[in-house]
Amino acid sequence: MEINIIKEKINHVLISVLGHNNFEMHDELTANDVDGWDSLSHMIILTNIEETFNIKFKLRDLNKLKNMGSLVSVIQSKI
Amino acid sequence: MKILDNLLNSISTNLNNNAFCIDNRFYTYKELLQKISNIRAVIKTSVNEDETAVGLITNDDIETYASIIALWFEGKAYVPINPEFPIERNINIIDQASLRSILDSSNKKVINSYNSILTKNLSNTENNLFPAKISNDTLAYIFFTSGTTGIPKGVPINFGNLSAFIEAHGSLDYTITKEDRCLQMFELTFDLSVVSYLVPLLKGACVYTIPKNEIKYSYIFQLMEDYNLTYALMVPSILQYLRPYFDEINCPSMKYSLFCGEALPLDITEEWSKCVPNATIVNVYGPTECTIYCTEYTYKRNAENKNRNGILTIGKEMLNTSTIIVDKNNNEVKVGEQGELCLSGLQLTTGYWNNEDKNREVFFYKKHKGKKTRFYRTGDLCCAEKDGNILYIGRIDFQAKIQGFRVELSEIEFHVKTTLNKINAVALAVSNNNKNSEIGLVLESDTFDTKKLLDNLKSKLPNYMIPTQVRFLNTFPLNTNGKTDRNKLKELFNSIKAA
Repeated sequence: MEINIIKEKINHVLISVLGHNNFEMHDELTANDVDGWDSLSHMIILTNIEETFNIKFKLRDLNKLKNMGSLVSVIQSKI
Repeated sequence: MKILDNLLNSISTNLNNNAFCIDNRFYTYKELLQKISNIRAVIKTSVNEDETAVGLITNDDIETYASIIALWFEGKAYVPINPEFPIERNINIIDQASLRSILDSSNKKVINSYNSILTKNLSNTENNLFPAKISNDTLAYIFFTSGTTGIPKGVPINFGNLSAFIEAHGSLDYTITKEDRCLQMFELTFDLSVVSYLVPLLKGACVYTIPKNEIKYSYIFQLMEDYNLTYALMVPSILQYLRPYFDEINCPSMKYSLFCGEALPLDITEEWSKCVPNATIVNVYGPTECTIYCTEYTYKRNAENKNRNGILTIGKEMLNTSTIIVDKNNNEVKVGEQGELCLSGLQLTTGYWNNEDKNREVFFYKKHKGKKTRFYRTGDLCCAEKDGNILYIGRIDFQAKIQGFRVELSEIEFHVKTTLNKINAVALAVSNNNKNSEIGLVLESDTFDTKKLLDNLKSKLPNYMIPTQVRFLNTFPLNTNGKTDRNKLKELFNSIKAA
């Protein structure tokens, strides 16, 4: 899958969970930069991403998700 | 005081052992001792002798832990101040505790209008091996918990309380040695942090912390895997988060797996026991007011475990605590009958900090085993089994636990109502899809945009107290007593947005 399409789908998940689009999708984006992206919404976001891409994160993957760039590459390695 | 002598003894006999692992960097006891000595020197020069308590910015670094011990060795208490909490709340705590000085390991002072002392780049001094003289009455810490009037309540714990806890903990027979690797997953504003660093340090063991920007549950798993942790105290909500990944977890090194801070479901405990096949699993219970925890139950593998509604028993009182279960008139109820759990003993706080009204409300005297005894009402509804084990039923009032933090729902309601003129509001703990609690808010009003309201709450309350879901209802339902029917309101949250 093209990186652009992956990002577009992640963007869609974020907007639907967080209820806003006040963030810009770039590789350095972290949860801290996004309003409402805390440990509670994080779980929901990950579950939705798993469903969207039909993948399952391993526990070990979760710590690698430092920013948008690493999220995209972990997803890429699984599809 | 024995506890500080023991701590110093442990530090000075384990100099080459690791004391902390913070963000994958190890610190030996020797390094810890050097930091403690440096900070003691600056306390001596910059903090007045009459300051019995000093603020502490709770960063995740070696200086912050060294500051706690340095303050104790100087005969002073620490008051943890979380830099991520709203400044208004922190200032309230500082003022309530009459703090003048604050130890801060940040690069730039977090709080400016007080005597903030930066501890990060102090020059080395000679090691100071003599703790100040302290007594049972000397304060060890004051922790502030959520209060009903919108103002946090201070719980002072003295060295008598803390020593009694350490003695009771020691008598549980969970042997920790200098070979052990122990988890410390708690914010330093939460008193479960105290046992998580203090017990290992007293034995020369190594404490593994969680950096603030990490996701706790997955980082804990990584620590278990990478460092073969042997001892871990956790809140049960961590298990709820880890549950979907249990088949990935196998940690045979774990010797003791303790849970505290929330109700522990029996089914998830059974599943968890396979992830830590060699561990003794323990459920401990206790409020901050009775020093960390004071009842204990050891989970039985392959045998029946007492539970109520699937919640594992909290077991029996530990060494220095007495428990009774009473009715509204403070009379003890019969075995098997429900009542409020009350605690007394050496671990019990002397009372809330400068809050006589609250003290009159929750502390009372009662003749117990022939002696006039001071008891604390926990607000927890419990009943006792014939064998003495205590079953936890629920909160009597509307306190709730969110991510292990104690939250007075009425505090959230208080701030909502003061923001929204004349609109009724009820805050509830609701279960989300992961079976963890989060805050739901119901407003008696037509629908409106709540962004302004939530922004205002964020300036007044810590993050975990901010409602994550809001519902509107034109009229609140009432129950048979004429009170707002909270259970009916709760049903509004049964369908969760992220299905």
